[in-house]
Amino acid sequence: MRTFKVTRMRTCWLGNIWILHVTKFVFILANFTQSFPFNRSQMMNSKQDPGGIFGGYGMGDPNVGLAGSPNSGALLSPLHPYLNVDPSLVGPGGAEYIFPEGASKTRGRFEMAFSQIGGSVFAGGAVGGANGIITGIKETAAAQLTGPVRRTQMLNYIAKQGASSAQALGVVALMYSVFGVIISKARGADDELNTLTAATMTGLLYKSSAGWKKCGRAGAVGFGLAAVYCLYTSKDRIKGVLSSKGYDSL
Amino acid sequence: MEEYAREPCPWRIVDDCGGAFSMGAIGGSVFHSIKGYRNAPAGHYRRLIGSLTAVKTRAPITGGNFAVWGGLFSAIDCSLVYVRKKEDPWNSITSGAATGAILSVRNGVAAMAGSALIGGVLLALIEGIGIMFTRFSAEQFKPVDPTQMPQDPQQLPPKPLFGGEQTSNSYQ
Repeated sequence: MRTFKVTRMRTCWLGNIWILHVTKFVFILANFTQSFPFNRSQMMNSKQDPGGIFGGYGMGDPNVGLAGSPNSGALLSPLHPYLNVDPSLVGPGGAEYIFPEGASKTRGRFEMAFSQIGGSVFAGGAVGGANGIITGIKETAAAQLTGPVRRTQMLNYIAKQGASSAQALGVVALMYSVFGVIISKARGADDELNTLTAATMTGLLYKSSAGWKKCGRAGAVGFGLAAVYCLYTSKDRIKGVLSSKGYDSL
Repeated sequence: MEEYAREPCPWRIVDDCGGAFSMGAIGGSVFHSIKGYRNAPAGHYRRLIGSLTAVKTRAPITGGNFAVWGGLFSAIDCSLVYVRKKEDPWNSITSGAATGAILSVRNGVAAMAGSALIGGVLLALIEGIGIMFTRFSAEQFKPVDPTQMPQDPQQLPPKPLFGGEQTSNSYQ
């Protein structure tokens, strides 16, 4: 039963990828044939059409792109005429993926949570371990330890610092994930507001027993980090908004 | 759908490590809050403080220990998948035993053997229960022999007028 499930999953996955590749290949082919030098004059003719990167398709000439039309030639459309469509007219631009019905386009917070927590634990362990190596070398040199004693002491430093920073980072990631999942489930939407709220609440909770001042500071740090992250992830959108504003003022 | 959402192998280590850390940290919070409450000096406020302190100091440690267990287990599991080129319950059982052995490597050979045994038996139980569940849930998807299916009742022979029990068992 188990093997059956695994194979089924793989075929599904492969099937999706296969469809993707075929689609991509078709679009690449169409694009390639359109930008072939023989068609240069035609592309120039249709310059005023909003064709995008897939090249302009002359709107005035219904025969453009159809095989056998007098001014296109055989090279222009080796494909089926129905496939010779500007994809930017059909749907929104960008990468085209096929998703299962009812599935969201990115993984939700809960699906990502364990990987994020594990990544944080690993990162904390790596940073703490590196820190432990530095501290260990300094301390053992100062204490003039040599041989097996020094080695054991070094291992202690690395293990202890690595474990403590891994725990700290892991707890922060766990709090963030729990808050993020709860908020996104409660709101029914997953956007930047969730990220900001979850990060602020994480900071507040993490230092909640250290006094008001530290608590507030940790919350502010969380909010700042989340804001930087949000700005970075949505920079394309911000650019788009800014440039469209520029157009409006003109 | 949730069942197919597992990460492919090298990333599964990170995923399992995170899952184990969350499990340990949340479970450790519950456990240590109760233990800290019971261990604290008398008085509700002091008990709450004791509970909070215990959670703050001990829950991340529990989570970290779980994370080490999960990460090591998953790493060995993935290595076995890579070496043996197949995924089956024996991978899990072996890696459970190996994880137990490795984590008690500083306590001597006897302790290693004991931990390996415990880890192996535990993982064998988990895998066995999983297989059992799969088998039970697969039972309802078993293909039915069409000749054994109940026929259209309109085409059945009429009931005997004075018959008692019908002896035919083809309707079951």
